[in-house]
Amino acid sequence: MRLRLPLHGFLATGVLLLAAGLSTGLLQAAAGGPQQASEDDAGPPLHPDFALLDEEGASVLESGGPVFTLATCGQCHDTTFIQNHSYHVDLGRGQIVPAGEVDGGRPWDISPGAFGRWSPLTYRYLSPPGDERVDLTTAEWLMEMGARHVGGGPGLLARDGAPLEELRPDSSNIEAAIIDPATGQAAPWDWRESGTVEMNCFLCHIAEPDNAARTQALQQGNFRWASTATLAGTEIVALVGEEWRWSRQAFNEAGNADAEALGIRDPQASNCGLCHGLVHVESETPLVTETCAPESWTTLTTGQIFSPERIADSGLNLADKDNLMRSWDIHAERVLSCTECHYSLNNPIYYQEPSGDRPDHLVFDPRRIDLGEYLYRPLHQFAKGQSAQGLLAPELDNTLRGCESCHTMEGTHEWLPYRDLHAEVLACETCHVPALYAPARQYVDWTVLESDASPVTGCRGVAASSIDTGQPLITGYQPVLLPRQDASGPSELAPYNLITAWYWVYGDPPRPVPLRDLQAAWLVDGEYPAEVLAAFDADGDGALSHDELVIDTPAKEEMIAGRLQARGLESPRIAGEVQPYGIHHDVTGEEWAVRDCQTCHTQDSRVTEAFALSDRTPGGVTPALVDDSGTALDGQVVSDGEGGLLYQPATMEGAARTYVLGHDNVAWIDTLGAIAFLGVFAGAAVHGGVRTFTARRGVRSRPEVRKVYMYSVYERLWHWLQTVAILLLVFTGVVIHKPETFGVLSFRYIVQIHNVLAAVLVINAALAAFYHLASGEIRQYLPRPYGFFDAAFLQAKYYLRGIFRGDPHPFEKRPEQKMNPLQQITYLAILNVLLPLQVITGLLMWGAQEWPEAAARLGGLAFLSPLHTLISWLFASFIVLHVYLTTTGPTALSSIRGMVMGWDEVEAYPENVEEGGEPQ
Amino acid sequence: MKDFKHIWAVGLTATLLLIVVPIVAFVRWDPQPVDDPWASLPDHPQHTDHSSLFQGPFSSGPEVTEACLECHAQAAHEVAMTAHWTWLGDPVLIPGEEQPIAIGKANLLNNFCIGIQSNWPGCTTCHAGYGWEDASFDFSNETNVDCLICHADPSTYAKGEAGLPAEGVDLLAAAQSVRAPTRENCGTCHFSGGGGNAVKHGDLDGSLSYPEEHVDVHMGRLGFQCTDCHQTEQHRILGRSISMSVDTANQIYCTDCHLPELHDDQRITDHVDTVACQTCHIPAGAVREPTKIHWDWSTAGNDWPEDPHEYLRIKGSFVYAENIMPEYYWFNGQADRYLLGDPINPDEVTLINEPLGGILDPLAQIWPFKVHRAIQMYDAIYNYLLQPQTVGEGGFWTEFDWDQALRLGSEATGLLYSGSYDWTETAMYWPLSHMVVPAEHALQCQDCHGENGRMDWEALGYYGDPMLWGGRQGASATGDGGGQ
Repeated sequence: MRLRLPLHGFLATGVLLLAAGLSTGLLQAAAGGPQQASEDDAGPPLHPDFALLDEEGASVLESGGPVFTLATCGQCHDTTFIQNHSYHVDLGRGQIVPAGEVDGGRPWDISPGAFGRWSPLTYRYLSPPGDERVDLTTAEWLMEMGARHVGGGPGLLARDGAPLEELRPDSSNIEAAIIDPATGQAAPWDWRESGTVEMNCFLCHIAEPDNAARTQALQQGNFRWASTATLAGTEIVALVGEEWRWSRQAFNEAGNADAEALGIRDPQASNCGLCHGLVHVESETPLVTETCAPESWTTLTTGQIFSPERIADSGLNLADKDNLMRSWDIHAERVLSCTECHYSLNNPIYYQEPSGDRPDHLVFDPRRIDLGEYLYRPLHQFAKGQSAQGLLAPELDNTLRGCESCHTMEGTHEWLPYRDLHAEVLACETCHVPALYAPARQYVDWTVLESDASPVTGCRGVAASSIDTGQPLITGYQPVLLPRQDASGPSELAPYNLITAWYWVYGDPPRPVPLRDLQAAWLVDGEYPAEVLAAFDADGDGALSHDELVIDTPAKEEMIAGRLQARGLESPRIAGEVQPYGIHHDVTGEEWAVRDCQTCHTQDSRVTEAFALSDRTPGGVTPALVDDSGTALDGQVVSDGEGGLLYQPATMEGAARTYVLGHDNVAWIDTLGAIAFLGVFAGAAVHGGVRTFTARRGVRSRPEVRKVYMYSVYERLWHWLQTVAILLLVFTGVVIHKPETFGVLSFRYIVQIHNVLAAVLVINAALAAFYHLASGEIRQYLPRPYGFFDAAFLQAKYYLRGIFRGDPHPFEKRPEQKMNPLQQITYLAILNVLLPLQVITGLLMWGAQEWPEAAARLGGLAFLSPLHTLISWLFASFIVLHVYLTTTGPTALSSIRGMVMGWDEVEAYPENVEEGGEPQ
Repeated sequence: MKDFKHIWAVGLTATLLLIVVPIVAFVRWDPQPVDDPWASLPDHPQHTDHSSLFQGPFSSGPEVTEACLECHAQAAHEVAMTAHWTWLGDPVLIPGEEQPIAIGKANLLNNFCIGIQSNWPGCTTCHAGYGWEDASFDFSNETNVDCLICHADPSTYAKGEAGLPAEGVDLLAAAQSVRAPTRENCGTCHFSGGGGNAVKHGDLDGSLSYPEEHVDVHMGRLGFQCTDCHQTEQHRILGRSISMSVDTANQIYCTDCHLPELHDDQRITDHVDTVACQTCHIPAGAVREPTKIHWDWSTAGNDWPEDPHEYLRIKGSFVYAENIMPEYYWFNGQADRYLLGDPINPDEVTLINEPLGGILDPLAQIWPFKVHRAIQMYDAIYNYLLQPQTVGEGGFWTEFDWDQALRLGSEATGLLYSGSYDWTETAMYWPLSHMVVPAEHALQCQDCHGENGRMDWEALGYYGDPMLWGGRQGASATGDGGGQ
């Protein structure tokens, strides 16, 4: 949506931003965060020192117990409110439904959030109550996945909303039990002993949270101490043996913790990065990362890294790294932090009423909640976009600052023809995130297991030949472009990564095979059983390599299925899915964004570039796109010929029927046009050849010729201007249609030249039409209806027979009647049918930017462009015919000379010839 | 019109115009770049080979000079008019003085070896002349101009005490080797200021003789010699530093070759008025060799273990640092200067050459500096800095007697010496202009702004990070942030 802010809007915004800047500065200084290089100038902290309280509300110094953030932070902030209004906290717990009833979810998903939506990357399944085989219980979910959960929500409450601590340990209640991985038997879980996981304010709000300690506490089931463990980096608490001990020296005399020492502050990118992806904001040290290791979720799933550092300065083994003199993410370079776009929705600094809700008379509503009110009740619902993989809180989709909130294309994209059309069809990210330079997961194959019980995975963005060498060479990858269904508008192409997964499901209703059963089927005491080795070990070396570990025959599938059935799993079968992950970061600026038109407008277009999905097709199962991603696979998932799969996007062949100039064409039109063109050429060559031959033989009439002033200056001017314009239009049109044949020419300039010439053509034609109408010359083009067919045949017979025998022309060419009936009918068709059609299709194609509805109503570019192409073939054929026929005058060049100089040579006719009659 | 024979030419012209003019007018052509820095470089004509022009032998430097003057008659006179010969600049008005004064190495103090008066034989090794060994040196004798130090191949020529050719130098070979000066010529002296390689400037040291391209893009990647930027006409070499100069006459600027608005990114262009080119394009000083950042003369004379980078008996204790983060101050191109006899406050740091300018000065920009701090001697009664004699008979480097050294030095400088000396802190500011990294390695936004930025905003006079608090226009009139 384009914002048109008048001056007072800017002023108001400016004042507010200044106020915002001041208060942000105050808040930042208040938060005690290091804003300047010199620590002693930090300014007085606004956050007071505060007591750390435990569950009972007593100071932890006295009780030695774990810190309870709800009580501690709740001394000043409304933590109950915060906890109850945060999808980060809730993660879908409040929307749990029976399995299979999630909108767009899988048959076994029970919520749209991480607590309940199964992911093949983590594989563990949060079982609903009543399932015969239980995989994850709530307690184990917190242990396994709690690292990426801020606490509260499912960590505190049961699925029905009752506090977990009120549940009696009961091995039949999945919310109060835990499964022994070895035996599969349920054992009771005592929440009162382990404690629950409360919302952990420290994780996001202190400068150096110890996420490793916190994760360890969670994995050990020591939920009560998870928040305390987060403070391990601050010296206020330390792990002594197995126990956490508070350090009295770190507290001040009043027994309060020093807010500045703890580093209480607004969340910065490094806090968000603890869960969301690799963030590296201090550019003194080079960035490093494991290749495709799952420590950073968003980096694993998309290859996005949020860092201001230049890619060339990083420590990765990256191909052509020295030339990558751009920052990973330009917004990180410009010192933006996550909360600048993903702000808290009631933050008075950033909050703006959605433009759709605003009344027309208002461009900006300055009314805000008080800062103090905000600090008391900051809404931890964060502004979000619309990602393919994060499906919580859809009512909050697209509340975040999108590109258009801060940027405009005016003044910056002047070089781009059809700028608005591009903006409609392409998301900003398509051109501004041209490539990711970190590896991302490509596929995960859970139908097989490695000897360490991990699935077989594939990474994209890494040179395949280097993976086993211990020094993988990162090449980066170009994301696939898929249509993004925006809530409000039409779909635009945006970049995604696709992760394909195969896994075993069993039973009816289907469930994913629990990990322990899968492991039992594949491994016995950590080794492959003989049966498995026999089926898979093709080279007989006793180990199963990456290439051997694939279910590519029915026999292998049956064998494993049999082993699963032996575990008691009914009808095990392989299922596959493709999950898209949206890409919105690693944005780059001017030089690195796509600027070359021929990236897309060419035969090997970026838009239809095949995207590798996997190097295998386990069980022969072609995976389908998940239902809830908000995007669609417009093309086809096809085999790559080597056992793997790739996704082939489509333009014209897809459902959206997008026509990309320079890439798409309708084959039969080009074929038909070429036949017409070549046919006319051949015909003219034959005809001319025969004429030459017969002329040599001497059969020639030598009529008397006289010079007649045939064409006025204006007629000649408009004719030749038309000629040059049409020839150049055809040439530039060919370049646009097949840019790769004329690669040296700039697509961008050719398109604009084509448009300018079209305008010249139209104006020329319009003026000429006016001239013809006003002067009455239009009569020349109108054939006499009576006797028309006879006259036409007469002329045709002349061309087919008479001309070879040297017969005189059947019709005298006079200034008052310059054209024979065939010419009249041809020009009529050309000038009144073809030319207008070409102009209209061209106008609508150009107008696809100005008048998109008009173009769309007529079928859009997908219809207009092929028609335009067909007519241009016909025009080209006409030109050949026309030029050839100008040689049928008394001499070969007399007609052309006539059209240049105005004086034509005509055969003299005896007085008694009737117009249109045979000479008597 | 009917019979006009050349109507076809008229028609052709009209047609072409009607086609070409709309195309040129309506197609959005890319703007042509206008920056051509190469156009501003001096020519490098092939140098005449002098290897057959001299027969020799030459027994002294001045003999060589006379030989040069046979063809280049004006050369010595041209040099004699410049500061390389006189070690004094044109008279300038210094803040606090009533009359313009000619100042230069000849009569100024610094906080390295302090001053040259009485120490001439040692210091004038780097004089572009022969034989300046005491106050009676005849500056009008132009045959004492040393042509070879700048023009001879440095592998054939070196200077010794009082600027005379060093022992063992073959003057004939040196004379025959003359060509246009290279980095090594200039660097013979300018890289080794302060008594050793890389000691003084922070951005000039031996690594610039043949630097890698990411050490200095002009001298490394592009093969510039000093004279490509320090352009010279008739031996008047442009370019100056506030070590000795206080004004901007004959100064050189990045914008002599580069357009100030050459950045594609408008956000960077917005910085150009406030931030000097050097600030972003010289991220660090002393990239390859450590430079001296602290010199404590007061510990000299002790019998401590010696190490040229830590302690020498003759000089005192030092601190060297490599790859230094510059200090950033406002600078409008002019400086204040401590002159002989100026009073000091011994309890405060005396600024030898304070860069002038402040946040409200429209000509001032933020510049990167290497700051050299020292502890040196002052007269405890008269409260001014003293200059000792270190070189030669009676000097500190032979006698290790400060009192005597200061007495002798004061005689030479004309200062009264009360007999009572003590130690005070001084600071000297060296703006960095060399070791320019390639543009793709320039500082990025987050290097100055944001959490880990290198700028001390409040010291510069801002309320805080100008990205958040607003730029210099908002700075309060009462605090001009010129504090150093």
